[in-house]
Amino acid sequence: MLYVVLFFLLFSLLLYVILAGADFGAGIVELFSSKESRIITKGTVYRVMGPIWEANHIWIIIVIVILWIAFPDFYNVLTVYLHIPLTLVLMGITLRGVAFVFRHYDAYKGRLHKLYDWMFRISSLVTPVFIGLTFGAMVSGKLIITNNYAAYSFYEVFIAPWFNIFSLLVGFFFMALCAFLSAILLIGEAKKEDINIYLKKSIVATVLVILSGFFTLTYGYLNDIIFVTDFIENRYSNYLILLSAILIYPLLRSIKKGHKVTSRGLAGAQVILILTAALIAHFPHLILTSTSEIGLLDNVASEKVINSLGIALIIGGSLILPGLFHLFKSFKIIKVLDL
Amino acid sequence: MDNLDAARLQMAFTLIFHIIFACVGMVMPFFMIVAHKKWLNTKNPIYLTLTKSWQRGVAIFFVTGAVSGTALSFELGLLWPEFMKHAGPIIGMPFSLEGAAFFIEAIALGFYLYGWNKLPEKFHWFTGVIIGISGVASGILVVAANGWMNAPSGFDYIDGKFTNIDPVKAFLNDAWFTQALHMALAAFTAVGFAVAGIHAYQIYKKKQIELHKKAFKIAITFAAVAAILQPISGDLSAKDIAERQPVKLAAMEAHFETEKGAPLFLGGIVDEENQEVSYKIEIPKALSFLAFGDFDAEVKGLNEFPKEDHPNVAIVHYAFQVMVGIGTLLMFAGILFFVSLKKKKWWELNKFWLAFTILAPLGFIALEAGWIVTEVGRQPWIIHNIMRTKDAVTPMPGMIFSFYTYVVLYTILTVAVTWLMRRQIQFLNASKI
Ligand code: HDD
Ligand code: HEM
Ligand code: HEM
Repeated sequence: MLYVVLFFLLFSLLLYVILAGADFGAGIVELFSSKESRIITKGTVYRVMGPIWEANHIWIIIVIVILWIAFPDFYNVLTVYLHIPLTLVLMGITLRGVAFVFRHYDAYKGRLHKLYDWMFRISSLVTPVFIGLTFGAMVSGKLIITNNYAAYSFYEVFIAPWFNIFSLLVGFFFMALCAFLSAILLIGEAKKEDINIYLKKSIVATVLVILSGFFTLTYGYLNDIIFVTDFIENRYSNYLILLSAILIYPLLRSIKKGHKVTSRGLAGAQVILILTAALIAHFPHLILTSTSEIGLLDNVASEKVINSLGIALIIGGSLILPGLFHLFKSFKIIKVLDL
Repeated sequence: MDNLDAARLQMAFTLIFHIIFACVGMVMPFFMIVAHKKWLNTKNPIYLTLTKSWQRGVAIFFVTGAVSGTALSFELGLLWPEFMKHAGPIIGMPFSLEGAAFFIEAIALGFYLYGWNKLPEKFHWFTGVIIGISGVASGILVVAANGWMNAPSGFDYIDGKFTNIDPVKAFLNDAWFTQALHMALAAFTAVGFAVAGIHAYQIYKKKQIELHKKAFKIAITFAAVAAILQPISGDLSAKDIAERQPVKLAAMEAHFETEKGAPLFLGGIVDEENQEVSYKIEIPKALSFLAFGDFDAEVKGLNEFPKEDHPNVAIVHYAFQVMVGIGTLLMFAGILFFVSLKKKKWWELNKFWLAFTILAPLGFIALEAGWIVTEVGRQPWIIHNIMRTKDAVTPMPGMIFSFYTYVVLYTILTVAVTWLMRRQIQFLNASKI
């Protein structure tokens, strides 16, 4: 059953990254658009994301719930030592969600929409940076785990681990990944005359992903960040990254040719490959502190707990996944919100 | 303010905020599907306008509820890491089922909001029903988790370690049923009176009278039924507490001394230092009867328990008085509504509409007061008789800044949502039907 639980954890995490990532990316693409294409993007984003928007964000809740039930010690470290970046993520999610509703459900259209729009775009930009930052902080090797808080300053324990160049680079990398996912998603949904906008954007985003990934790794390598050196030396991680590099070629081709399903599939595959490569480099030791490694599987909850969680996940999954599938399928038909 | 108090305040503040949105998300879908059904049956366009207007309300509240709920699920760990480390595996069961319920709700909402004229009529309506059912289910599930904090079960506690965990037993703890029942009724009472009150006010101001009367009737019918059942369920809760958390009962009633045939106090000012309640009305032997169904039963007073196990008596007592006072009032209001169905003349009186306008916020006030009774009454324990709140709080200093950040953020949200709702109503009143 532990494997079932781990599977659902990984599955939910990947889906969150891909679906919510594309969703964040939509705001980023909108932010970096010219005035006219912003309006087009806003319309397209709403058409595509509207019906599934809410569901996309529940994956993070599933991740959190699985962590706290099955891996309480691991979760405990995250919540105590990454309190501040997680709070920033929350603020971002809150403002973004609210801005999204306000701009689409206000009964009247008016000047205020400018405010909602900017709130939406800015929070779409910063939230993924904070999420990436949190991941970066987990593996930066700068965390100090201690019971003796008096021996350290507040800055050392609660700020330095995430407020550093490496974590920021990971944050930017994740942001670029979101923009990339979204640009590719939008190509398939745009009207004929607008497709070029997103073609250009997706190429720019692809280049950005590659560049920021490269910078992150180089910086980490030069500064002896254990996670990066291990990542570079791990054979499986290398294969996966190699595979993802090779896939860039068909991806760019299918983007150019306008094969929307293939390019979406390939873009999703890219993200899965990159994330899996990062995860297996150190699995199950996913938190690296200045002195030790903390494993996901240290002090797992008791067997009975894992079993009942596994059963709950299987039952929940078998109810939810078909429904979700239908929603995704139908949203191609159900396009325009008619209020 | 120390770290613990800041964390407690933040928890209280965010929950008090979340529960408003969560309740609307639980109850509004029912109003919406009733209006929708009436539109399908009668093809009266008023019902269509009403359905669509309520649907926009549901969407706005759903998202605010969802983001504040997401914040809460992080906060449980961020503020109370020691609690979650031990409680997480034990009460994870209702939370993971709740996750499933939310998911189903979000999927159904996607279908419902975007399905107009695209899905088969019946199926479209049915997705609305699913929104309602899964909303209530998720409410019941979280409350079961809260019930466990009041009546911990499903584990052995030996030498500070939680062993032998049985998630199902923990889920079906002694408090889950009474609390979930009372909460579900409270949600219908609070939202029903609030919605009915808003429409009553529009009628009072003579705007779109026909539409608002239909809306009023749908909302108040749910609310009146719930409000009439509420005191009965509250009495069940009180009997439960008398067994399970006698300190809480003593604090609710501000009883310092153990007594046989204890009187019930109405109102009064609590003086914790001198252990007195002045300016109260006493109903002889009523408390013994309410708590144990026997006029001469012994009710334990606060002095029976060590001082460090007392909650803040004044807050709990006042909050309880507010809840019960409003509960009684709303029960009569519910009865009044059913009588008014026979006396159609009343519906022409402006006073009638004014009365329901004034009642609008009371349900929510009672609901928040009730939660304060439950939560503050549980103090100083985060898990009753097992773990103290002060041992659960995060070691990170500076929680007060976190608290202020949330206050600012949620205040802005509240203002914005209120304002959006006003615009919805203006829009509704301006539309031609
Ligand atoms: C509309 C809201 C509302 C109304 C009118 C009432 N209540 Fe209530 N009450 C709640 C809303 C609520 C609540 C907010 O939903 C609580 C908090 C936790 C819970 O399960 O329900 C609650 C808790 C609560 C508790 C504590 C339960 C616990 O700690 O486990 C008791 C003893 C009562 N109530 C009793 C009553 C009585 C005797 C009422 C008679 C009129 C009453 N309530 C009306
Ligand atoms: C009595 C207390 C509570 C009730 C009745 C309740 C009920 C609800 C409901 C009905 C929703 C759906 C949102 C909507 O339809 O508007 C919701 C959202 C949510 N609640 Fe609460 N909740 C309560 C307390 C909590 C607590 C303590 C937590 C934290 C652990 C929590 C976590 C969540 C989450 C994560 C969501 C978002 C799910 C989504 O995206 O739909 N809730 N809550
Ligand atoms: C939504 C309705 C709720 C409201 C309005 C509410 C209110 C409060 C208040 C006022 C406090 C502060 C008590 C104090 O420290 O004096 C508190 C604490 C807390 N509540 Fe609730 N509560 C609600 C539901 C829940 C639910 C459903 C859960 C859990 C499943 C929960 C978990 C907690 C925890 C963990 C604390 C902090 C520890 C403590 O102070 O004991 N609450 N809540």
